Amino acid sequence: MKPSYSIELIRIMNSRRDFLKQISGAALAAGITPLLAQTLLRAQAVEFPGEDDMILRSFRFVDLESPVEYFNTWLTPVPHFFVRNHMYEPSELDANEWRLSIGGEVEKLLTLSLAELSKFEVHSVVNTLECAGNGRSLHRPQVPGIQWGKGAVGTARFSGPRLRDVLQRAGIKPTGKHVMFRGLDEVPGKVPPFIRSIPVEKALDADTLIATHMNGSALTKHHGFPARALVPGWIGAASCKWLTEIKVLESEFVGNFMNPGYRFPNQPMKPGDTVKPEDTHPVTALTVKSVIAAPSDGASLKTGKVMVHGAAWAGEADVTKVEVSADGGSTWNSANLGREQSHYAWRLWNYEWNAGKSGDYTILSRATDSQGRTQPASPVWNPSGYLYNAVDQVKIHVA
Amino acid sequence: MWRKVAALCLMVLLVAPSLSAQAREKDQRRTNPTEELPAGPMQAKATTACTECHEARIILQQRLSKAAWTKEVDKMAKWGALVDAADRDALIDYLSANFGPDKPAYEPPRTADKIASGKSK
Repeated sequence: MKPSYSIELIRIMNSRRDFLKQISGAALAAGITPLLAQTLLRAQAVEFPGEDDMILRSFRFVDLESPVEYFNTWLTPVPHFFVRNHMYEPSELDANEWRLSIGGEVEKLLTLSLAELSKFEVHSVVNTLECAGNGRSLHRPQVPGIQWGKGAVGTARFSGPRLRDVLQRAGIKPTGKHVMFRGLDEVPGKVPPFIRSIPVEKALDADTLIATHMNGSALTKHHGFPARALVPGWIGAASCKWLTEIKVLESEFVGNFMNPGYRFPNQPMKPGDTVKPEDTHPVTALTVKSVIAAPSDGASLKTGKVMVHGAAWAGEADVTKVEVSADGGSTWNSANLGREQSHYAWRLWNYEWNAGKSGDYTILSRATDSQGRTQPASPVWNPSGYLYNAVDQVKIHVA
Repeated sequence: MWRKVAALCLMVLLVAPSLSAQAREKDQRRTNPTEELPAGPMQAKATTACTECHEARIILQQRLSKAAWTKEVDKMAKWGALVDAADRDALIDYLSANFGPDKPAYEPPRTADKIASGKSK
């Protein structure tokens, strides 16, 4: 565990560089031992109850990324599970006051309390949830948005009523083709509200949930307490948090986060080009992808056996193969796939590489899925940086 | 100068751990560990325009061309950012100069669940 230090200290030192310079200078001036100074140098954490050792992409509003070294367990512990918010979290959430309304193209309007919602049959789905923008920082040219590295993804067991059971109680009219979710996010300025919809077929899937629990505990506030949509295999944005309204619509919801937000070009495009909105479609299911959890990029290792391991997922498809290359892609070796599996969940994988000779190496990982898709060698560029899934790589030194 | 900084650091070292977790949780909004925008003629106006809704770190991590910054500024003005028409071009220049594609990547800090003792767990 990293040593950590107070936010007060960080406040004084505005920039990271100044912080480093000033703290080492101050430590020397005060006669503090070099060891203590070293401890302080590594101690640049920002206090965040319930969120441990996460990469702070934004404090206000909250966006946190998992360091990839935590992708070593099939279920990601909640304190290490990425958090993506488009705006402010609800300032007040009272489980007793909370209500979920179901309306639109239904026979009967429903309003459910948390107690009423909990009377529906509970179903659990182990799902790999990934932000559509995961890996955005790796696109060239760079595109605007939260500059996620590789860790806006995690896997958890989500539990709660099936969305279809709730919709069937309200009774969907034949005119109902899409299902809209609205959360309690608090909207700053004139930003459009975070409202999106999914097609009714996906809403009625037996694994689409109104989740109230994550890894066996009630959802935390950052993950959508008291209830969120859970649309398995799809981009995280489909799984609306702090759910308060479900509305059955005749057509796809019209709003910023459906169009122009969260859309992908219909045809491959030249990096840096622009695309007309009519030549795009909504981003839905995740694609095939693997990430190397260890060794870390830039690591120095000794010659001998090196366990290369990580996780691989494929949205609504299954991972069938993960391959590792230690020679920049000239030769590929099959990795072992972990025993734990579930339809929408990632597979852990490992490959024991014998680093026989010293030198600098590029280790690659490449996943293939049940739809025959394989990770591309280079990223599929698009203007918003969605669905980055190029072959993963880490550069290491062996001495 | 260094004596002042050192004294301040020591003061913080002594005082910070004694603050109760509850007090700090209450103070979280006031003591937001957020970033600041870089110095320049547009720093104050950019701070007003942008950080009303989100902290500066969201800007610090972008690496965009002038054309891309122009789109962002116009989008944010539409979404409520207070940008005087006379300041629009200067704001775009300020953002492009500081956060262009050639700048090194921004290095974010990490979070810690508890920062009570300053000791490693």
